[in-house]
Amino acid sequence: MTKVTVTLANRQGQTFEVDPRKTLLASLSEQGVDLPYGCKYGGCITCAARLMSGSVNQSAQVALNNRQINDGYIILCVARPLSDCCLEIGVDSHGKLYRNPFLDPLADHELKADIAAPMKENT
Amino acid sequence: MAKACCGPGYASPAEAMQAPREKLLYTIAIYTGTGIQKPDYLCTIDADPESPTYSQVISRLEMPGIGDELHHMGWNACSSCHDDENMERKYLIVPGVRSTNLHIVDCGTDPRNPTLFKVIEGSEIKATTNLSAPHTVHCLGSEIIISMLGDAQGNAPGGYLHLDKEFNIIGRWENSMGEIKFGYDFWYQPRHNVMVSSEWAAPNTFMPGFDLEEVGHLKYGRELHFWDFEKKEPRQTMYLGEDGLIPLEVRFHHNPDSSHGFVGAALSANIIHWWKDTAGEWQWEKIVDVDNEPHPDWPIPIPGVISVILLSMDDRFLYLCNWLHGDIRQYDISDPHKPVLTGQVWMGGLLGKAPEVNGVKVTGGPQMIQLSLDGKRLFVTTSLFSTWDNQFYPEIRTNGGCMLMVNCDTENGGMEIDPDFVVDFGKEPNGPSRCHETRYPGGDCTSDIWI
Ligand code: FES
Repeated sequence: MTKVTVTLANRQGQTFEVDPRKTLLASLSEQGVDLPYGCKYGGCITCAARLMSGSVNQSAQVALNNRQINDGYIILCVARPLSDCCLEIGVDSHGKLYRNPFLDPLADHELKADIAAPMKENT
Repeated sequence: MAKACCGPGYASPAEAMQAPREKLLYTIAIYTGTGIQKPDYLCTIDADPESPTYSQVISRLEMPGIGDELHHMGWNACSSCHDDENMERKYLIVPGVRSTNLHIVDCGTDPRNPTLFKVIEGSEIKATTNLSAPHTVHCLGSEIIISMLGDAQGNAPGGYLHLDKEFNIIGRWENSMGEIKFGYDFWYQPRHNVMVSSEWAAPNTFMPGFDLEEVGHLKYGRELHFWDFEKKEPRQTMYLGEDGLIPLEVRFHHNPDSSHGFVGAALSANIIHWWKDTAGEWQWEKIVDVDNEPHPDWPIPIPGVISVILLSMDDRFLYLCNWLHGDIRQYDISDPHKPVLTGQVWMGGLLGKAPEVNGVKVTGGPQMIQLSLDGKRLFVTTSLFSTWDNQFYPEIRTNGGCMLMVNCDTENGGMEIDPDFVVDFGKEPNGPSRCHETRYPGGDCTSDIWI
């Protein structure tokens, strides 16, 4: 099985070789990276990280709304890498994850996938 | 009934009010969501004004893993076992909402240094009952039931986990969830054969944070459920609508003969009162409506967000917290249809009315409260839920939570923040943590139920 390389941008660019069949949380934790987590099934957002480059399959996640996805967030406890990836991890990557919902409402297409309106055509 | 023969708790609420003053507090503190990679923990706080360590954390019990998000907790036994001399109020059941782990903490052997007695793993609970996200713990005579807000995948409505007194999983407590859409808190009043349960949201909805738009998409609760307690199934649902958006803490009168109870609707910032009328039908009405408050930076006025309510042991006073406004209120509910506002203090909040209290800059707002059995001391903490804290009070990451004590006038009504008591969780040894629910070793105003 070919491994892919994960680079941690906010951990001095450390790199790790990981098995793409495993979740990123499992692979990185096994190799000693200290990562936050809670539910471990993709529902609670605690393990969110930011994907700077590369791509992942995180179809099992239900925690992120579409705005957070567009901002590059991924859910490490369910995400599996589809290519080499560069990540920002931990709470120091969560700057755009949390917003005051009254001051900064979501547009209809920015809600979670199950209730989001389809994206409008380019304006 | 001779006291010497008896089990835990008190023969009646009136007897509970005569108990000795609390000397210790158990309070949850969390690191989940803070960026500090340490377990959540249970603090023991010295509440004895005669002690040199008064108003300090005197011991900390770390959970075995990180990421639990400890939240609420409950005793293995309460006054509902008062007649059972084989029972003892010895263990706190401390659930992790995110992990589903249940931590059984021995507080009886050395009350100043609780120890971990047993862990029921979240994976076992999910595998055997298809439930997750534990919330409220109540004991039922010698058994324990816990509201679980989701199924094993975090979808609503979840159900109720049933444990025996040795903390073995019996299975699901309820025979049916009926048409219930969501779970959260519950309280039962056995002499009326009733349990009332309220509604937050599915774990997958509330755990990642609060998207206001999801309220409109009916992802948050607005109903109250009246159960046939013996049959363990819902009997009647009250649709509270816009008056009852996100009904959270449920409190029956402590008087076991009373049918009156109350729930705080967090987002509507209302108190809903229910009772059984002379025809035996359950009725409800809105008795408190906290007005939204304008804020210069907000496009819409800020809702109070009533995150908790609590009744004094004599059922005379109702306390509530407006987590976003920052005030704690005391209402005289001697006539439960006509509450009278008798006290109000400010602690944190977004309205900026309490920037500093007892030398601590309060971050967050008044959130969880616990009242002494005699009704004179109210302990208040500031953190609601890690992700929601991060949205509304992001500075809590660096400042941590805090606990204050409010002195309550039980004769004339009125409240005052105690100038000599403050626990600053911003100064914890491992870094700023956030404090949540509090309980006392001898039982408190939100744990005990009389059969
Ligand atoms: S640990 Fe809960 S979403 Fe990953």
